[in-house]
Amino acid sequence: MNNATTLSKIEPASYLSEPLPLDASKRLEIDRSLSVPILFLMRSSFFSFSLALFLISICAVKLVFPSFLDGISFLTYGRLFPVAYDLFIYGWAIPLGFALILWLMARLSATPLSHIRILTAAAHLWNSALFLGSLAVLAGYGTSVIFLEYPNWASFLLFVSFLLMGLWVLLLTQERKERALYVSEWYLLTALCSFPWIYGTANLMLTWGKIQGSAQGPIQCWYAGSLMQFWLTPIALGTIYYLIPKITGVKIYSYYLALFGFFSLLLFSGWNGLSSLIGGAIPAWMMSAGVVTNIMLVLPMIAVVINFYWMFQESEKLILHQSPALRFVAAGIISYVIATVLSLVSSFPCFNAILNFTDYLSGTFLLFFLGFFGMTLFGGLYYFIPRLTGISWSSSKLIQFHFWLSVVGISLMVSSMVLGGMIEGVAFNDPVITFTNILSYTLPWNVLVTLSWFLLLLGFFCFMRLLVTMRWEMIEEKLPMPR
Amino acid sequence: MNRLRSLFLIIILLFFSSWLGVVVYSYLELGHFKSVAGSDGILPPYYSGQAILGARVYAASGCMTCHTQQIRQLDVTHSDIDRKWGTRPSVALDYLRDQTAFLGKRRMGPDLSNVGSRLTDPIWYYHHLYEPDQVTPGSIMPSYRYLFHMQKIQGELSAQAIPLTGPHAPPPGYEVVPTKDAQDLVAYLLSLKHDYTLPEVSAETPSAP
Ligand code: HEC
Repeated sequence: MNNATTLSKIEPASYLSEPLPLDASKRLEIDRSLSVPILFLMRSSFFSFSLALFLISICAVKLVFPSFLDGISFLTYGRLFPVAYDLFIYGWAIPLGFALILWLMARLSATPLSHIRILTAAAHLWNSALFLGSLAVLAGYGTSVIFLEYPNWASFLLFVSFLLMGLWVLLLTQERKERALYVSEWYLLTALCSFPWIYGTANLMLTWGKIQGSAQGPIQCWYAGSLMQFWLTPIALGTIYYLIPKITGVKIYSYYLALFGFFSLLLFSGWNGLSSLIGGAIPAWMMSAGVVTNIMLVLPMIAVVINFYWMFQESEKLILHQSPALRFVAAGIISYVIATVLSLVSSFPCFNAILNFTDYLSGTFLLFFLGFFGMTLFGGLYYFIPRLTGISWSSSKLIQFHFWLSVVGISLMVSSMVLGGMIEGVAFNDPVITFTNILSYTLPWNVLVTLSWFLLLLGFFCFMRLLVTMRWEMIEEKLPMPR
Repeated sequence: MNRLRSLFLIIILLFFSSWLGVVVYSYLELGHFKSVAGSDGILPPYYSGQAILGARVYAASGCMTCHTQQIRQLDVTHSDIDRKWGTRPSVALDYLRDQTAFLGKRRMGPDLSNVGSRLTDPIWYYHHLYEPDQVTPGSIMPSYRYLFHMQKIQGELSAQAIPLTGPHAPPPGYEVVPTKDAQDLVAYLLSLKHDYTLPEVSAETPSAP
């Protein structure tokens, strides 16, 4: 392989995170061409996020008071719960990630967008598929494959509309006027290219067509793991690699560390999902591959965190204190570290025997999802939205509220899930303890989890409140429509 | 464009390693397992038509969000078998007949791989699905009342009527009976028995207690 030689050509320009300042009129042109599709994607993602938070709070209440709204087919726990998670993923994480990809790619490639109608149409298609798919799951047409619950027609429409949007962005990279390739772009391109592939193959084998049941387990786990490591992680890291240098003015500390972090992530991702089948019905080598790669995922984490740490060290402390974006990003990075360590612990077979199937793993996932991905992306939004709309945030109080409610909510939720999960796991492993006893041990933790979902809901209301005061509907109309 | 292309190439190579290793391997190897001839017929046994319909109700109701269907291997943990959720660890072949393998990730309730050998009375299942917290006090399993309907007793009590006495008891002269979906679901649950011995697992099977 001549990778080494080609790579060494990606030289110093990459130390910066963005082309040298564009002149103001150029930047305005780019931002305007962007604003319509991006704001649309963002708005729909906020809608899904609030809906998902609302539904998951109902689920949490149901675990504490099983008689709450029970006996109603479309509100039963087993349907609401997957719909809430799917809305988090396909309604929020993917459109929002995509909006950030659009923005960063256009900014980084110094190219204004053209033919945005295709993009907006694809985004509408995505939203309708999402909406109809969720209704179908509530009506009992779900597939019961984790993260792939949508019935086959809905997932097919999602797939097609993602392809349309993705191809469109790839064309953008072809048109680029800027030649250098930046660290953020490595990650974003990875996410962009791998998502259709993993979503396509997983659906092909599990929902569009069904392969023999004996092979479905590893593929289900592969999909869940890949979704985390090929979408959530790269999008969040790409955003951080853009934001820190941009806001603080500090260059990326070590280019080689960044390279190492990127490629080690790619190498171990995808395999890591197998670790949720430790002790399960798969060949022994697959289990070992899952364990080893899940442990190895600490390496890319350490590499990027060292980089970020030094960039923070070198920047002026005042900026760190004043920028809401950086504050959210810092919370995201800390969540990334903790979540990786938690998942490292649970991938040793001796610990996994206790922790598997408990809330420990759900807590780890939520820390990763809401803490790392969510906080980082909210940081990005605090930076991008004023630049897209030309209006600054109206209240720093509300930003503070959003931040602290999220931090407290996520910490409370994750710590109760992790602790409750450990207790539950130890109890599972003692056959003398009856099942109803185990339920009584987990009940107090479930109460805390419910409480923390409400805190998160409240935090998100603060964010929505901020958006409303921006009156961005009007702003959108004032911008000349790009053709 | 050169750099962009080499980046794409590396992404693709690394990405495909896991894709080939997990997806393609699983499909080619595990996905082509053949059933085996056991002493009492073909193993794993076929599901009845009703059980296949029942598996769809299981999927539609999302039982998988709270129930797993996998007994872990003994070198990892003994607890699944100690809890009498099975007599031997699950193997890939056990899922051969499943349209969708309901492995599950979260155990809010007991594992169901062998629930059909553990609980054999259909009326128990109906009653439990109708009001779980009356059957098992402290249960957080949701009620599946929508899988049942109330009807006027015509002459004799029907054989499938649930013996309800608690807060959900029907008014006198009425009975609560399962719908077709509930009957299918229970047929499916009753057929969840992975207690046959497969040649490839017999070595791992613990001696009977
Ligand atoms: C909110 C989580 C939840 C959902 C959803 C759920 N269950 Fe349960 N299930 C439980 C809990 C907790 C128990 C243990 C307490 C009890 O027996 O009720 C249980 C117990 C059971 C049992 C008895 C197992 C035993 O060994 O005693 C069966 C059978 C069962 N569930 C079937 C189902 C079916 C079928 C569905 C879907 C229609 C379902 N469950 C959905 C939580 C759930």
